[in-house]
Amino acid sequence: MPNIKSFLTPWRIITGLIFTAGAVATYMRFVLGWHAATNLSDGQPWGIWVGVSTLCGVGLSAGGFAIAAAVYLLGMERYRPISRAAVVIAFLGYTTVCAGYAWELGLPWNFWHPIFMWNRASVLFEVVWCIMLYTTVLALEFSPALIEKLPWQKMRQTLLTWQHRVLIGLVLIGVLLSSLHQSFLGGLFIIFKGKVYPLWYSQYQTTQFYLSALPAGLAMVIIAMYLSMRSLNAKLDPKLLGELSRVITPLLVIFGLFRFVDLLRQHAGEYLFMARPETFYFWLEIALFIVVPLVLFNMKRVNATPIGLYWASAVTVMGFIAHRVNVSITSLERATGTHYVPKWSELAVTIMLISAAVIAFRLAVLHLKIFPRTEARNAWLVNEAAAAD
Amino acid sequence: MTKETRAILIDITKCIGCQQCSAACKTAHNQPGDPEPTLAAAAFTAVEPRGEKFVRRMCLHCEDPACASVCPVGGIKKTAQGAVRYDGSKCIGCRYCMIACPYSVPKYQWTKLAPYVTKCDMCAEKVLGGGQPACVEACPTGASTFGTREALLLEARKRIVENPGVYVNRIYGENELGGTSVLYISDVAFEKLGFIEPPAQQPLPTLSAAALAEVPTVVAIGGSVLAGLYWITERRKQVALVEAAQREPKERS
Repeated sequence: MPNIKSFLTPWRIITGLIFTAGAVATYMRFVLGWHAATNLSDGQPWGIWVGVSTLCGVGLSAGGFAIAAAVYLLGMERYRPISRAAVVIAFLGYTTVCAGYAWELGLPWNFWHPIFMWNRASVLFEVVWCIMLYTTVLALEFSPALIEKLPWQKMRQTLLTWQHRVLIGLVLIGVLLSSLHQSFLGGLFIIFKGKVYPLWYSQYQTTQFYLSALPAGLAMVIIAMYLSMRSLNAKLDPKLLGELSRVITPLLVIFGLFRFVDLLRQHAGEYLFMARPETFYFWLEIALFIVVPLVLFNMKRVNATPIGLYWASAVTVMGFIAHRVNVSITSLERATGTHYVPKWSELAVTIMLISAAVIAFRLAVLHLKIFPRTEARNAWLVNEAAAAD
Repeated sequence: MTKETRAILIDITKCIGCQQCSAACKTAHNQPGDPEPTLAAAAFTAVEPRGEKFVRRMCLHCEDPACASVCPVGGIKKTAQGAVRYDGSKCIGCRYCMIACPYSVPKYQWTKLAPYVTKCDMCAEKVLGGGQPACVEACPTGASTFGTREALLLEARKRIVENPGVYVNRIYGENELGGTSVLYISDVAFEKLGFIEPPAQQPLPTLSAAALAEVPTVVAIGGSVLAGLYWITERRKQVALVEAAQREPKERS
């Protein structure tokens, strides 16, 4: 008989707490209203549901198109073992972003309006369409993992053949769609000229968002691979982590150079050392996203071990989040005269959505062919089943 | 901008801060309560004291409005008669318009469970029926006047020229960010009254338009490059296969 103590592992308790908090926050958002659930205001109408859930959710899913392009278009066969995982991460990332709009939009039941009501001048319109199309592309790229589970052999064969025929097309369209909307997420901020603090304004915010999403998306893949190897018995060559991390270094250098050259070109240099809170947040972002990762990824002691790469990637992702939060929130505070700190319920919803994505990823790895896996976990499952009897 | 584009001219020298305009606005839009100190979800115009002056805030009804350009569902439109109108039936509640507005005019009904964006509509229905916006009608001193944008620009220019030394030589809204349909003239420098200096020479939507114009290029060049790379990859694989096949017999012998 399964007893309560073995069921209540620390992680299960934490997950339970996260979902309880998320449920309370959801109640507050939909029953008690915006004032109860958020610290948003006319001065700061976009909070972390935009800054983290959308901007980071999409950005951190960039590994999906990058790895797919590397394997299918550039023939880098060594990444094939993780290509499916990268696609799953991206698919879950985008699904989470879309789900997040239920909380973020003021009138979420009108979510379908952009399909029929067009405004081609709106960057957000382009972003919405790209995200809808790309989520569909990801679902199709990911579909073999599900098709393989069909019990009917003939149907399975037919569907897989069809999928295989269009796969290259899908990957190609996916790369184009990703490149467009990863950039245009930054493009959203171009029209805020005059409101955005000079350290975060750029007419090339499109390029900056694209260049920052690539290293962050790859760091996310490293994190997911490491955790899958450690906890889900994924059978992967640990050297792959190192290879991926070696791509991150030049990507971070390119982004950093672009960022600083762009700042100087726009004469924002004088803001770099002003005694203002923005300066602190700027350098925090630079440290977490560029300096510390570059040092860590190039330290022998760190990059020789999977756990070292895991932590270096975690810092990169943190820095990436700092960058996006700065662009979407910190940058506007001075012009709007608003100081925004998210309410606990805003954080609870975001954390709940991330947890849901993590759980979905775990289930996918356990039940579908995402990574090659060792037998150890199965043996462990058998033991647990035996203990349960 | 067409000939019949309507506009409001606000002469700050004539405003006495009596709040008749904001009260009339509230009545016209069925909004409860007294006039409010600043723009709010239920206050489409507000009279703000600035030193000894009173500045009436409202939507400036830009000629090329940023709010209309960013709305993903085209829920905000600049009408031929001048007003920038918001259509709540299209709104999804993304709140992009609120940040995009350089003057921070649109407000949100944060207290409602089905919140809409709110802002001045220049009493569009009344104007279509031949009337004037409620705020202009209520103004007892002629600080607000209504007419075609062309005529009001002439009138504003006339007042500036005919009263030397009184007005600042600037009509705020004539050219700012492509111009607006609410024009201000003042005897105190505009920056001292809380008016923003336009952050760009051209209308703000042109900034996003420049970025969006890259789409066809990115798709065309990106698509070709990717397809080319794929072709090279496939070709390499084939060559490798053929070479392997050629090598095989030799290795056997």
